[in-house]
Amino acid sequence: MSRLLSRRTLLRGAVGGATVALGLPLLEAMLNDNGALADEGSTGPIFGIFYWANGLPWHAGHGAEQAQGNYPDDWTPLEQGASYTATPLIAPIAAHQPTIISGLTPKTVVPVTPPGQADGHMRGFMVALTSDRIKPEGFDHPSHTLTALRPSLDQYVAKHDNFYGTELPRYRSLALGVSEARFHGYGHWDAISFNGPDSTNLPIMDPMQLFDLLFSVPDDAVTLGKRAQLLDAVLEDANALRKRVGAADKIRIDSHLEHILEVQRRLELGVTTCEAPAPPSSSTDLIEKTGIMSNLLALALSCGLTRVFSFMLTSPASTHVFSNLNVVDGMHKACHDGDWEDVYQITLYQMQAYSRFMDELAAVTDPTGANLMDRLLIYGCSEYGEGWKHGVKEMPVVFAGGANGKLARGHHIREPDGNMSKAHVTLLRALGIDTPSYGFNGGETSEDFGSLLI
Amino acid sequence: MTVARHSCLSFAALALLCCQGTIGDGEVIDPEGSEATLQAPVLPRLTTAQYWNSVHDLLGPDLPEMPLEPDSNPYLFYSIGATSTELSELGVQQLEEAADALSKVVFDDAQRRSDLVGCTPTAPDDSCATDFITTFGRRAFRRPLNEQELTLWQNVSTDLSDGDGWLGLRYVVSGMLQAPSFVYRVELGEPDPDDTTRQRYTAWEMASRLAFTFWNSGPDDELLDAAASGELLTAAGVEAQARRMLQSDRTSETVQEFFAQYFDLSRLDDLDRDPATYPQFTDTMAESMRTEVKLLVDDLVNRRNTDVRQIFSTRRTFVNSDLAALYDVDAPGASAVAFTPVELPADGPRAGLLTLGAFLAMNAHESDTSPTLRGKYLRERVLCQTVPAPPDDIDIDLTPDPSEPKTLRERLDQHRDDPACSSCHSFIDPPGFLFEGFDSAGAFRTADSNGYPVDTSGDLDAEPLADARALAEVLQDHERVSACMVTQLFRHAQSRLDDSGEGPAIEQLDASFAASGYRFRELLVALVTHDSFRFVAPIEVTP
Repeated sequence: MSRLLSRRTLLRGAVGGATVALGLPLLEAMLNDNGALADEGSTGPIFGIFYWANGLPWHAGHGAEQAQGNYPDDWTPLEQGASYTATPLIAPIAAHQPTIISGLTPKTVVPVTPPGQADGHMRGFMVALTSDRIKPEGFDHPSHTLTALRPSLDQYVAKHDNFYGTELPRYRSLALGVSEARFHGYGHWDAISFNGPDSTNLPIMDPMQLFDLLFSVPDDAVTLGKRAQLLDAVLEDANALRKRVGAADKIRIDSHLEHILEVQRRLELGVTTCEAPAPPSSSTDLIEKTGIMSNLLALALSCGLTRVFSFMLTSPASTHVFSNLNVVDGMHKACHDGDWEDVYQITLYQMQAYSRFMDELAAVTDPTGANLMDRLLIYGCSEYGEGWKHGVKEMPVVFAGGANGKLARGHHIREPDGNMSKAHVTLLRALGIDTPSYGFNGGETSEDFGSLLI
Repeated sequence: MTVARHSCLSFAALALLCCQGTIGDGEVIDPEGSEATLQAPVLPRLTTAQYWNSVHDLLGPDLPEMPLEPDSNPYLFYSIGATSTELSELGVQQLEEAADALSKVVFDDAQRRSDLVGCTPTAPDDSCATDFITTFGRRAFRRPLNEQELTLWQNVSTDLSDGDGWLGLRYVVSGMLQAPSFVYRVELGEPDPDDTTRQRYTAWEMASRLAFTFWNSGPDDELLDAAASGELLTAAGVEAQARRMLQSDRTSETVQEFFAQYFDLSRLDDLDRDPATYPQFTDTMAESMRTEVKLLVDDLVNRRNTDVRQIFSTRRTFVNSDLAALYDVDAPGASAVAFTPVELPADGPRAGLLTLGAFLAMNAHESDTSPTLRGKYLRERVLCQTVPAPPDDIDIDLTPDPSEPKTLRERLDQHRDDPACSSCHSFIDPPGFLFEGFDSAGAFRTADSNGYPVDTSGDLDAEPLADARALAEVLQDHERVSACMVTQLFRHAQSRLDDSGEGPAIEQLDASFAASGYRFRELLVALVTHDSFRFVAPIEVTP
């Protein structure tokens, strides 16, 4: 009988079958044997998603039916072009010279059945995060059960050959979150990062758990090596199982196999050279907790532990109760009830959290002396244009950071009824990812906002 | 979701047309004359509870808590999430870290490792090591290791041991606790020698299915021995083991877990009410409400083993001082921590689960009640009916016009008058209004939050009803109540939605449930001995 099989052999076993295309870049990178890379290695661009729930307060710009109350548009800047005057809702983040793209909307085609797929929560969310529609098969509006057709942008970038190439950091990506409130405990309601259908990356919510993940790597290379070697046996067990299951479960086991290989690669990287900060506290205050989580994230980015992340301030259709703002009901209900003033205050507060998030990132320089915000491209988005009627007109889009000198800052571009995917083409090109077009099922476009690309 | 199989959707689609579910109405399927179709097996991952229960069974108590991928509950049940979703990369890493930490704790302790292994390995490949790998492997993987696997794990023991037998076995334990054979419930079936059209679950797989259904954990040695003897290949053998397992407290706990998911009690976790508006809603109230439901389930299922449908109509309940104040009942002996049985007054507003704090408060907003949420819960969870999706161009505007104050009922009436909204709301709201006599914290009220007198009248499927008490009487022997409970248990135990072809199976189970006087423990036995639990369609394996 053979000894422990080499990882190479097992890998071939894993890719021999009908493996998902998604996994291939990873597996190929592994085969190249160029995976091992010390921390603090790269000066490449960093991509992150910042997500907040429930869009913006409504006004006539979201459609005539939303003009009731004559509420002002406190988001869209008046001027367009290379500079603008910050509006009340942009003011909290203005110091970070965000670029605002306004007027965009999903262009995906909505299937008639199963019914309910035009619901802004779901349609707007999927387009903002994946540039595609909901997966129609299995969509169930009454229980709000749905999943994505493809990876969210963070995962698309993290697994694209053009982004990491062979210089893989310790983590391809990190998923973090702040508010614990959830509309449902399944589907896309508790995560904004997807690998594909029914495959979410749930955000890490606990600062101490994030700290342990990033900085509590055991200082014992020999033991880490044994743990990596042990995974060869685990892989063999997984490979034996994948031969016995049906097609749908084979996809699940294949992704499990890929994950084992990633964990193994990490163990083989051995001890980390990153200096651990003091263990973090936590806070029930959203802005304080945002500060704690983003400080840890900034240290991880400056040390090269990853170059891709998603940050979910609040979850889709959040039921978070902003009692600190004297709003008695959960956020989602406040939107539905048409409590404009409450929604305005909640959105303003979320923008203050957004600002705190960027403050923490801007406070850190990497070992080469570069400011993280200069390397970053942070894509800020929400699930729809506004929450009162879940309208998907005027979806908010914010770009922040310089993307290593590839992205202009502080612009306002307005394109009423423009294709949301155009923003995605722009950000992918800024990150150096070859993008002939992006967007799917009606959202395809090869256009970008060229004035932003340097 | 992969779990929403097409045939389930056609079940839902039918309901969409007529705003009615299909259990017990429409075309009647003769339970005697029709055979249920078998479904292909699914591959559930262990839920976090199943992981920890199994790990404690294998390694003993006092283990460190390690973070794991949280469960998800599409269609109410964690088992369905465990079947339909992929484990994330972080989830896999957490399994590796947990296995490493747990095995280290046990093997760093001379007493614990000796208790676990039962002999002293003098070399990583001696007979003590081999015996341990064989027995531990059988318990962890819930079946014997095959020859190839035995060799694999022996090699682990040898290669990673540095010559230290204990260290080698520690790595075996760590490896097995993160191996997919442990992490997934591999129940795939084998050819049935008596019927070539179907597969049967192997005896080992039946041991596993029984253990997770009754104990939410892997099988014990007795169950594994029953598998080894072939006993679990017969319905009688399965029943014998099922009746043994029923006696255990672990079954009572698992029953509670099922009801907690079926009733969605996890939503009590973040239930909060402003004490200024709801002075009775103490810090401990949400937990008190949860305990009340548990005691009610325990009373009907475990202690009295009686008609469990009474949960929707009984006036007998269990209160502590929080709930006694909320319900305004005398409860001698009740304190903040002590619950006492009480008989709710015959002329009072309450009877059954749908008049108790947990249901009423979970399905309400801080500032207002929600006939819609309460009605939806009744339709979906209690009656297993499908609420139709709202139209795509929905205009949800119930904003009160300050010049013309209206009650919530009047605002919702607008909804039901609007053809765009009425398809859902005329289905959900009329029974939801029956609960209007209870505020957002679950207290009885005669005026709403704006001071208007409450109107508790409503109806269920065109039968006019006065209030929630009247509804409780209807639910007492409503045919959908038992059929729905059977359906929910079926989904929970099968780790997937039921397929329309399984209608006859559910009807047969409902018939045995009725024959047993609706005793839930008998339903469990009927479920696990039924063909739908013991047989499976073959999988199409692609290379």
